[in-house]
Amino acid sequence: MYIDVYGDTLCALVSAAGLAATGHNVSLHVPQGPAATTLARGGCPYREPGLPEMLAEQTTAGRFKLARVDVPPDEKSTMIWLALSPTDMDQAFQIIKGLPVDGERSWLLVNQSTFPVGSTEALQQALKDLPGGESTQRVAASLPDLLIEGAAVSGFIHAEQWILGCDSDWGKRMVAEALRPFNRRRDNIMIMGPREAEFTKLAVTGMLATRLSFMNDMANLADMLDVDIERVRQGMGKDKRIGESYLYPGCGFGGLSFSQDVMSLASTLQHSGIQAQLLDQVLRINERQKESLFRKLWRYYGTDLRGRKVAIWGVAFKPESARIDNAPALKLIEALWAQDVEVHVHDPRALPALAEWAGPRDDLVLHKDQYAALVDADALMLVTEWSAYMSPDLPHMKGSMKQPLILDGRNIWDPTFMKQNGFDYFGIGRR
Amino acid sequence: MTDAKETQWDELITHGSVVSKQHLADYFAEDPERFNKMHRQFGPLLYDFSKQRLTDQTLKHLIDLADAHDLQGWIQRLFSGEEVNDSEGRAAMHWALRLPVDAKCQVGDDDITSQVHEQLQHMELIVDKIRAGQWRGATGEVITDVINIGVGGSDLGPLMVTEALNDFTRKTPQGLNVHFASTIDGSQLSQLLRDKKPQSTMFVISSKSFTTIDTLTNASTALQWLQRSFGRRASASILHCHFIGVSASPHKMTEWGIAEENQLGFWGWVGGRYSLWSAIGLPIALKIGVKGFRRLLAGAHDMDEHFKSAPWRDNLPVLMGMIGVWNTNVLDINALSILPYDGRLKQLPLYFEQLEMESNGKSVKRDGQPVTRSTCPIIWGDVGPNAQHAFYQLLHQGTEAVTCDFIVPVRRYDEARHHEAAEELAAQHQLSLANCLAQSRLLALGDAALKDADELPTHMRYRGNQPSSTLLLDELNPYSLGALIALYEHKVFVQSVIWDVNPFDQWGVEMGKKIAMSTLAKIRGEDASLEDTDSSSAGLLRRIEAEWKS
Repeated sequence: MYIDVYGDTLCALVSAAGLAATGHNVSLHVPQGPAATTLARGGCPYREPGLPEMLAEQTTAGRFKLARVDVPPDEKSTMIWLALSPTDMDQAFQIIKGLPVDGERSWLLVNQSTFPVGSTEALQQALKDLPGGESTQRVAASLPDLLIEGAAVSGFIHAEQWILGCDSDWGKRMVAEALRPFNRRRDNIMIMGPREAEFTKLAVTGMLATRLSFMNDMANLADMLDVDIERVRQGMGKDKRIGESYLYPGCGFGGLSFSQDVMSLASTLQHSGIQAQLLDQVLRINERQKESLFRKLWRYYGTDLRGRKVAIWGVAFKPESARIDNAPALKLIEALWAQDVEVHVHDPRALPALAEWAGPRDDLVLHKDQYAALVDADALMLVTEWSAYMSPDLPHMKGSMKQPLILDGRNIWDPTFMKQNGFDYFGIGRR
Repeated sequence: MTDAKETQWDELITHGSVVSKQHLADYFAEDPERFNKMHRQFGPLLYDFSKQRLTDQTLKHLIDLADAHDLQGWIQRLFSGEEVNDSEGRAAMHWALRLPVDAKCQVGDDDITSQVHEQLQHMELIVDKIRAGQWRGATGEVITDVINIGVGGSDLGPLMVTEALNDFTRKTPQGLNVHFASTIDGSQLSQLLRDKKPQSTMFVISSKSFTTIDTLTNASTALQWLQRSFGRRASASILHCHFIGVSASPHKMTEWGIAEENQLGFWGWVGGRYSLWSAIGLPIALKIGVKGFRRLLAGAHDMDEHFKSAPWRDNLPVLMGMIGVWNTNVLDINALSILPYDGRLKQLPLYFEQLEMESNGKSVKRDGQPVTRSTCPIIWGDVGPNAQHAFYQLLHQGTEAVTCDFIVPVRRYDEARHHEAAEELAAQHQLSLANCLAQSRLLALGDAALKDADELPTHMRYRGNQPSSTLLLDELNPYSLGALIALYEHKVFVQSVIWDVNPFDQWGVEMGKKIAMSTLAKIRGEDASLEDTDSSSAGLLRRIEAEWKS
């Protein structure tokens, strides 16, 4: 089949590469931006195991090629595949408007983007509104992105299950045909309505976010009760009914897809007049959690931070990312600035994004060397758990800092060991 | 009193003896142009006094009376910073609080404009930090609730304006709430403390002298509430993070424990009931933002300029003040009802009660002699449509002559044009407007407003001839509200000139506070003697003592 995939998300790249690998002819339409530049140079914008190799192989094989978003799909194509960022709903409608409809052309749109519930139906209507909508097939189906980062490629090729939201028999057959290579052992496509599929995706993210906020809530209690949350977490994780994933307490979660997914679920429900009470709280707890390191610092220095200098390690919303969307570090930095604190930041990849977000200011200094950020600092805040931070040069750190105060937002260091090395150490739910 | 003044009074009263026999219905029947002649517009305010019991000749007499009392000279003295508050030996320069930044105002050695704007900027910093969600409590939590503790001018003004401008609330990330606690018995405070979190609540302690017992008692309750939660050792953090002081007495604030950077100042020359334009207005700025607060100041400033420069015949505060004098001293009407037809102005009657009665409720002239004529009438009111179900009966059919000020915005729910419920709500406002006009018409015309009134039984008939003014605001917004309040401030000043009283002191409220202190000692059993009091108070004290002992 000829398939046109739109987007620069991880999902877009994995889907495009995966489909090409089974023989489909795939055009990936990439919006302008850093990801497009990297791809055009033959690179891969995501450090996802197996993905760069797969892209390279399929490019060489001639089944994977890049295109601009405003270039119409291949003339043999009937299927377009959207994996846009959650904020790019307008772009989806633009893409539909640009579809060629000459010669009674049928269109199937597979939507993997995380848009508000009901969006796939709206996209289908837009397809039907194009000329020739009565005499041809115009279908939009929802195929939620359920990939797990770090295992995205194998997750696509050996998917446990697909959730397909589609009301049309033609559409179901087409998607099943496209996915047939990944669906051989047993039929693992679960079919439901488009709204139900979209809602399932949102419910999944909502549940994961709830687990994290729950753990953060527990960690805050642990702080009060002088309990080490790490032991509690391990104990909980051993219970089969609970499992180990998404139990790490920390200084809040960010990221465009994660927090926006949650938000769009909350706003979807709010718009309908129903209050998503639990999710509303989950979001509030998370926003509050993003300032947890600030509160520890505030109390440590007796509610006066004027003129202090604070180092932050890691501003990306997660390790291995160059992005800072909704990252906890941003809220922290704003809180520090408001108290006249000078902020010194190190991050292996996200400094350009941070510089763009902050604009030129005197109270923000960006450092390429993680230890340079510590010179004369009154505290170090560890916000993103990059591997390079896991086992740092402690004597060097202590020698550089004005006050050896460590606020560990990801519990990556051992409290006892840090104290032995002469630091004042505070984690999330442990010290 | 000089002869010129007496002559003008005599002429006015002679003229009044003729006019007072006329019925308003006749005036309207005689002259279809009456409204056109008897309304004035300034900025967003239309002042209609055609339903007052007066003629064009009356206005001429009133203007002559104002001139005979040197109104121009007094306005000049007020606006040049002279000590018009002679019993307290200071100026009254609330008008200076609303000067634009580029205005020149030098009094003695003081550059008043720069002092005012320095405090305004300090307030802006504090307001912006709180509104941005960056003002932190002792534990680092974001402040979400601000409780204003103050009484009198430190309460009524900010409370009235924040309620009136509720539609102009600017959203904040944390969802900021502003509350007010005033009464000495802690009624509002206890209610508020029940469901607020100490970690995210802060207090604004507002008191001009910073010795007001009502306010300091509430403040100390607030402090103890925080100390119970954070521990006494945290006192420095509590004071640093949870208290802002607004006062004309910095050292008293420091003495109480307000951190220096949390002190907002104003000056002796701002009277309490004229102080909402100063940092006392902090709760207003918290609610509508500093930009909105500046619009409020701009509306008042433009009214100041109008008052200073417009000829008496077109000068809203002068007309309003002099018509009040006419009603009080010539028509013997000793009650004024303030009737806003807009629920957002619920507190406005209370605010004007203080402004007018505390200013002009005096019976001693500036020279220490007793007054020979009536001064400030009794002022009360409520939201008009609600008052219709309460005291309008008396207005229409009672034995008392009462004059009314109807206050109503023309446009409302405009800002919510795209709101789903805008249409229904706009219809409700039309109903309110209709009621306002109907009531003033019936009060003025009486039976003449009805068809075939002669056939009705007497208890269903209306005497009419109750005079009223109507103030139409284009819409209620920070600017128009600023102009409206300043209009009444200057009206009060105009009347004080005619009555020759000092509108800026309030000696009548002092002694009660002192007696309360000696009475408190008796209630607490620190002073057992009851002989130095009267038998009524002694009897009541014994009953109270019995209860507190058990």
